[in-house]
Amino acid sequence: MAGHSPSPHKPRRKAKGTGGPSNLGHSTSVESSGRAPSFPLAAFFWPARGSASQWEILPIILMVVGLFRWAAGLWGYSGFEKPPMFGDYEAQRHWMEITTHLPITQWYFHDLQWWGLDYPPLTAYHSWLCGKIGSLIDPSWFALHKSRGIHDPTLKIFMRGTVIVSEYLIYIPAVVIFVRRFSRLSGVTSWSASISLAAILMQPATILIDHIHFQYNTVMLGFVVASMSSMLAGRYLWSAVFFVAALGFKQMALYYAFPVFAFLLGSCFSPRVNVLRFIRIALVTAISFGILVLPFVIGAYNEWKQGIRSKPAPLPLFQGLAAHLDTKAFYYPIVEQLVQMVHRVFPFARGLFEDKVANFWCALNVVVKIKHLPAELLQRLSLIATLASIIPPNLILIFRPRKELLPLAFATTAWGFFLFSYQVHEKSVLLPLAPMTLLLAGSQGLSKEIRAWVGFANILGCWTMFPLLQRVDLRVPYAVLTLLWAYLLGLPPTSFSVYSLDGHGSLKKIATALIHGSFYLAMAMWHMLELNLQPPPDKPDLWVVANVGVGAAGFALCYVWCFARLVLQSDILPKALLGKKSKTKTN
Amino acid sequence: MGEIYPTLAQCAVVAAAFKILLFPAYKSTDFEVHRNWLAITNSLPLWEWYYEKTSEWTLDYPPFFAYFEWIISQVAKLVDPAMLRVYNLEYDSWQTVYFQRFTVIITELLLVYALQLFVDSTHGASKRAAQAAAISILLSPGLLIIDHIHFQYNGVMYAILIWSLVLARKKSTLLWSGLLFAALLCMKHIYLYLAPAYFVFLLRAYCLSPKSIFRIQFVNCVKLGGGIAAIFGVAFGPFALKGQIPQILSRLFPFSRGLCHAYWAPNVWAIYSFVDRVLIVLAPRIGLSVKSGALQSVTRGLVGDTAFAVLPDITPQVCFALTLIFQAIPLLRLFSQPTWDTFIGAVTLCGYASFLFGWHVHEKAILLVIIPFSLIALKDRRYLGAFRPLAVAGHVSLFPLLFTPAEFPIKTVYTIFWLILFLMAFDRLAPASSRPRFFLFDRFSTLYITVSIPLLLYCSLLHGIIFGKSYEFLPLMFTSSYSAIGVVGSWVGFLVVYFTS
Repeated sequence: MAGHSPSPHKPRRKAKGTGGPSNLGHSTSVESSGRAPSFPLAAFFWPARGSASQWEILPIILMVVGLFRWAAGLWGYSGFEKPPMFGDYEAQRHWMEITTHLPITQWYFHDLQWWGLDYPPLTAYHSWLCGKIGSLIDPSWFALHKSRGIHDPTLKIFMRGTVIVSEYLIYIPAVVIFVRRFSRLSGVTSWSASISLAAILMQPATILIDHIHFQYNTVMLGFVVASMSSMLAGRYLWSAVFFVAALGFKQMALYYAFPVFAFLLGSCFSPRVNVLRFIRIALVTAISFGILVLPFVIGAYNEWKQGIRSKPAPLPLFQGLAAHLDTKAFYYPIVEQLVQMVHRVFPFARGLFEDKVANFWCALNVVVKIKHLPAELLQRLSLIATLASIIPPNLILIFRPRKELLPLAFATTAWGFFLFSYQVHEKSVLLPLAPMTLLLAGSQGLSKEIRAWVGFANILGCWTMFPLLQRVDLRVPYAVLTLLWAYLLGLPPTSFSVYSLDGHGSLKKIATALIHGSFYLAMAMWHMLELNLQPPPDKPDLWVVANVGVGAAGFALCYVWCFARLVLQSDILPKALLGKKSKTKTN
Repeated sequence: MGEIYPTLAQCAVVAAAFKILLFPAYKSTDFEVHRNWLAITNSLPLWEWYYEKTSEWTLDYPPFFAYFEWIISQVAKLVDPAMLRVYNLEYDSWQTVYFQRFTVIITELLLVYALQLFVDSTHGASKRAAQAAAISILLSPGLLIIDHIHFQYNGVMYAILIWSLVLARKKSTLLWSGLLFAALLCMKHIYLYLAPAYFVFLLRAYCLSPKSIFRIQFVNCVKLGGGIAAIFGVAFGPFALKGQIPQILSRLFPFSRGLCHAYWAPNVWAIYSFVDRVLIVLAPRIGLSVKSGALQSVTRGLVGDTAFAVLPDITPQVCFALTLIFQAIPLLRLFSQPTWDTFIGAVTLCGYASFLFGWHVHEKAILLVIIPFSLIALKDRRYLGAFRPLAVAGHVSLFPLLFTPAEFPIKTVYTIFWLILFLMAFDRLAPASSRPRFFLFDRFSTLYITVSIPLLLYCSLLHGIIFGKSYEFLPLMFTSSYSAIGVVGSWVGFLVVYFTS
């Protein structure tokens, strides 16, 4: 829908057969040189080839993706009219309630049984701001205790509005700037970059989770993209600040901590050793963290000074702590605040995986019952597997801190975490998907191979979230948004053109087509079964388990593909090895 | 010649995805109206259709639309039979909503087909322009707001209109153009407003010899007359046999309604009312008398039964006469120059005249002007100059149809998106005119479009902050007066273009 602002000039020249060079002097890209667009999204941008400036196309893209987001938000959110606990929507609303009514020292302590705050401080500040603004409109939305489980239709509009506004303030500018920098770095025309921007912003998984299910993932992802974007621009200090903001908003950003560290470290030693830069980055990171928790420190200190001790009975964790510290000292309430915050944000005491999630452990559990093994052993196994999967890509990044490798390194590491780490949620698949989808803006980003793999990961990712979405009867927006994206990028089930062999089918292409084809077939069959058949009574979770198994296998392939591509693009292997390696990896 | 991208089908797919996402959006009473008609046509025998009045939303469209509802109801039976019970008022199970909304999207496919015919019937250099115009109609914010949110079936009916207009382009299909239009009249009688242009065009181009107006082509007359009679016979015949025609006519033409619809459509009467309201304040100073009885209705703000306080009252006869006069003027030119472009211009001007001077005009009727106009708006830059204020005014005037906060971003952002995209695209595609442009008119249209921004801001945001819930008629009055100026301005502009090209 976006961006057909046809120029009367250029096509006329073409019709006369002169076929002059593009008037903006870009090198013609693969997509715009052909006679016809190779997928529908390119068709929408077809009239804008070469003529329309990015500033004409950008507002139209932003309006269209905004319209789709808002329309998606008309559907139900998670936990709508589902007492007693409701869902993520109630959690976010409840945090706005407590942050606006309670002193800051109570935020991580207040009635933890009812959606106690378990996100890092920036989420709390964000909730406070949204809650303050919302209270101006209608204070009853966030009345302390009385507003629990409220489902006022106007409140829903307000809450949807906060998600969109937060996204347009953080995620969208970050992605727009990232795409500009990354496409220039990779030598991609601005026309292709606009297409990939639209594709990235229409990514169904983020719309489904943030605008329908209800969460603020795009804020965290936006900070991560801003951090990557700063790395591309060579502003390493800003990159550290943005990454701290991402971590401070949602602890899940830890999935990316290794590549951020690896790249920043690598850039301090390559091309030449730069110790000063290293110190400055370390300092800025520490200061950013300090500023992040400063309000809590000040709050706790003030209460200590006024002699207020209003906290509930100390939690088990503090009893060990109290033995070593002076409970009367000024620093004790501060330490208590910070320890409680860390304890809330990182719940070490939970199981290996919650619910059903398409990662390695949950899939393995279908075959071998590992959930009964001792928790400590599982934790250790999980740690070893995660490290084994993420160390190689990060080593590459340390030794080859190249900007064009960033999305691949981020995606590989996030896949490793998602597949093997502890306490993974199905929504966490957004983390590997985000940097992987950014590949569309890179060199050859709209080529068949990258579209096939990025599309495969995204569609599989949406599919593994289906059990989460269909609980609140969101089959319709799930189907519409996923199929629309597949259609726009020319992917199965709407088109199989990305797998066409063009006469010279290499082994790699045939294998990709076969593997992807069988996954798409499995997904389609699964939907048919799930729609028409009840699972057998003794196995009520059969469909979900099947979903998890297929999903984990597919995601493992995505990890392998990202890693193999990272290895190839980093030129870290001797040339002689290259040919053999590429085959074994991508098959 | 190769395909022009994006194709209509590609746009239709993306638009359909967006429209499906709008399923849970606000729906007006028209949703219940159409549900009731599904129930009436499905559960009652034919001769009770126009007598049934359990619901206040009685069947008041011509028979072909009733048949159309009957066909849809055959599928509805399989989806949720409960929606087909006449006594099941206000029934809106999710199956009913999904089903009815879905039928709007499916029937709109005919619009894609008709627009494709339009593009295919255009040749040479203007093909790209035709494609852009066709996409602009397909993605029209008017159709989105009225059909897919408010709820009506305009898409399918405008598809028939466009199809008929395209058939008029070739001599060999002129007959079918007339017959299709007759069928359209039997579906929704609002298209009667455009009938004079059809009558004159078919008379001159089909029934009379192209060489002399005094040589009548009798075979063609018989074909056209017989065909139209047959179509009306199929539509009204069954009811005529039972002697129900007076009852149907009383349903189709309820003359008891007021001059202006509940919200003011942006026409001459909106300006007239606005002037009247201003005169209430000024009247004592300039020595005019104010009718005290009318003041009451004035302070209520919204007009259902408009009584004017200072200016003379308007009767239906006055409206009718004015409409006919302003329709007749362009038709004279059509009679002397029966080309397709003039025909489309005349259809547009008939739409303008009836919209601007008609009795009890709905704001939705603006599509009667915008859609035919779109087909020729890219003829040259002078046409585009007249089209521009209409595109802004016509769509802005539809905003009061949706007043719920959740739909506010959709109607505004979508309309702004459409205006930016297509006015920008049209600007590049419209060829320069061979005749001089009207300097003043271009300035007017730029100024006019600029004013829309503060106006929208005031109506949607500032008014609520300044006055809260009081003076609720003010934003409506401003919107419709503003839009009326745009529609009248573009009408005057187009009249000049029409008579000088």
